[in-house]
Amino acid sequence: MDDTPDYSKYTLDQLQDVYDHIDRDKYPYRFNLVRYEIEKRKADPSLEAAVSARAANEAGDKANQRELTLRFLGSPSEYFRIWIVNLCLTLLTLGIFSAWAKVRKKHYFYSHTTLDGTPFQYLGQPIPILKGRVIAAIAFVTYYASSRFFTNLLPYVFAAGAVFAPWVLVRSAAFNARYSAFRNMTFHFDGRYPDALRALYMWGIIPAFALGVVFNWWGKIAIAGGAALAFGIAFPWWIKRIKDFLIGHTSFGTRNGVFSAKGGQFFYVYFRSGLIMAGVMIVAGLFTTALVSTIVKRTQILVLLFLVPMYAGYVLAYAYAQARSSNLVWNHTRLGPLRFRSTLSGWGMAKLYVSNALAIVASLGLLIPWAVMRTLKYRADHMQVLQEGELAEFQGSDMSAVAATGAETVDFFDMDISL
Amino acid sequence: MITIDGQYYDGRQPIAVPARLEFAGREAILTAGQVSGRYTTDRLNVSPCSGNADRFIAIPDGGQFQCPDHEIMGSLPQTSPSEGLVAWLEARWGVALSGVVIVACVLLAGYFYGLPIAAERIADRIPLETERAVGRQALAWLDEQKWFQPTNLDKATQQSIKDGFDGLLSDLPLKDHYQLELRSSKAMSANAFALPGGTIVITDDMVKAADSPEEVQAVLAHEIGHVELRHVMRSVLQNSAVAVAVAAVTADAASLSVAIAGLPVMLAQAKYSREFEAAADEYAFQLLKQKGYSPAAFASLMERIAAKHGDDERAFSYVSTHPVTEERVKRARDAAKK
Repeated sequence: MDDTPDYSKYTLDQLQDVYDHIDRDKYPYRFNLVRYEIEKRKADPSLEAAVSARAANEAGDKANQRELTLRFLGSPSEYFRIWIVNLCLTLLTLGIFSAWAKVRKKHYFYSHTTLDGTPFQYLGQPIPILKGRVIAAIAFVTYYASSRFFTNLLPYVFAAGAVFAPWVLVRSAAFNARYSAFRNMTFHFDGRYPDALRALYMWGIIPAFALGVVFNWWGKIAIAGGAALAFGIAFPWWIKRIKDFLIGHTSFGTRNGVFSAKGGQFFYVYFRSGLIMAGVMIVAGLFTTALVSTIVKRTQILVLLFLVPMYAGYVLAYAYAQARSSNLVWNHTRLGPLRFRSTLSGWGMAKLYVSNALAIVASLGLLIPWAVMRTLKYRADHMQVLQEGELAEFQGSDMSAVAATGAETVDFFDMDISL
Repeated sequence: MITIDGQYYDGRQPIAVPARLEFAGREAILTAGQVSGRYTTDRLNVSPCSGNADRFIAIPDGGQFQCPDHEIMGSLPQTSPSEGLVAWLEARWGVALSGVVIVACVLLAGYFYGLPIAAERIADRIPLETERAVGRQALAWLDEQKWFQPTNLDKATQQSIKDGFDGLLSDLPLKDHYQLELRSSKAMSANAFALPGGTIVITDDMVKAADSPEEVQAVLAHEIGHVELRHVMRSVLQNSAVAVAVAAVTADAASLSVAIAGLPVMLAQAKYSREFEAAADEYAFQLLKQKGYSPAAFASLMERIAAKHGDDERAFSYVSTHPVTEERVKRARDAAKK
């Protein structure tokens, strides 16, 4: 392996130091390189000036870069009370209170997440959330009824869904940005319906898919299968476009988010996730079969035991995809002077998911709040926010002031559909 | 005078300025670096309380003051007063524990009583015709996908099954909606089921497994029970309500624990399914006796089929969609004796 240093980046002082101390017998080639570089610098002073300027710049950047500490301070016992009180009120009001419950929970998450010592603020109001939920419920019931009982209406329901989906994406992103604040400045989302349309329905794959439903191409398996395959392969690029759309149109103060990940990087993540799933299922499946067929003769038990490797493969692949795609998104996002470093690991997430599931099942659900808290803490612990430059780059305005988002300014189309 | 130390944010730059807020009577005095101001307390606005988190006070100059929770906040105007009551409830362990009891009671009562009763009432109001298209499509799909082949039974057997079926139907409220379909099926072996809308399918293997026409009648009577009692519609209603309720309770956990909601939904729905099977059994016993057949035929057929499979059902009784055969047989025999 060649680990010869790149002497062209050394300053003259550093080169002189190497020249004086290098073991000439052991590294004759390097010694020659250093001597050559020194002569070159002495012959051309402008070269040396450029190198030392760059070195000074790099040193300056390092000093200018600082980490803003991100902490999650939620406590399981405190959140347990919030969770149960809000769940109880939601059940007693047949779900109507769920909008208020969501506000209370988001308040808790935001106000217990601190960046550089300052908690985030959630300013969302229950009514727009309730509106969003009513719309979501109507959409779901329509879909469910048409898929089960009025199947001839299904194509129209799909078509309506396809037309509304970009609108829902835009409204929800705008709502969440506008009602999230940090240091008396709200976030802002300026994506519009046509942008969302382009992001969601890239290359016409999804519209083609929808048309396939409308014109009943489903009988023709080749077309349906071809569309599904094309969508499967295009999926990573699709996710990339949606992230690009969401991050690129989100701003804080005067600075917009910049997203630089490539579709190929998402493809790599999902492809490896698929390999993990296949690998675990095959290995564990063979092992289980060998083990089981010698001991157990009953087919029903065999089937149940097969679920174990299937589930294990699924959980590992899911955790891997979650961790790595989350890392990918954050590590390629910039917001003004801020950079992010997310270091989630698939294995760590899988352990978290499995232990959460076991605890929740064993406690009949009572440990759900505990699981929520430790998951949020885990995510915050694996996230670094790095500042390169001045926070003053973010310029607030009257629009971004928290006071501008009071209940009276909630506009009619404000809604949050994300459940 | 009350003095609170905290940070001030002017809303122009996301930079924290060390600040102090002093309360003197009905006035509040803010000092934050270059900024200072004197305001009457009724012009301030406090963000809702959430656990032990810091709170934000909106200052009339457009700035915000952040500080730890303090009892004086209770006397200031609130951004969302309605949240105050919820926050008060959330702070108390007694309330939380009663909440656990109430949630448990509501879920259990809804599951065991409320939901089945409500689903039955609603299903009664929805005409059977709404299901018919679905049943037809399902049968067409099963035929198309080669789950089924045409029946191989001879004409005489077919006719006698159809006659027996019509005989069972003669007095039923929904008798005009029924349609009997005979199919042979390698995949499903001895089986019979009711599709949505009143279509009943019985496989050749099931007919062959029966020792007498009476046993075939018993199977058909059971499927008729499913149709008359509207089990398709009721299970759609009950199962979707269970799914929604479980989703509501586990909403928080959904994203952090893969498929956590799947297990309770499956168990809850399996129990409803077993109840429907038992109800269809009871219905069948009554119908058979009314038509002069003995429910004992049902028992002997069930036993014969179970003997072929030989699986230990009891180990799976909680996840199974059907009641344990032994119990079904016993109830059939009891019904025959009465």
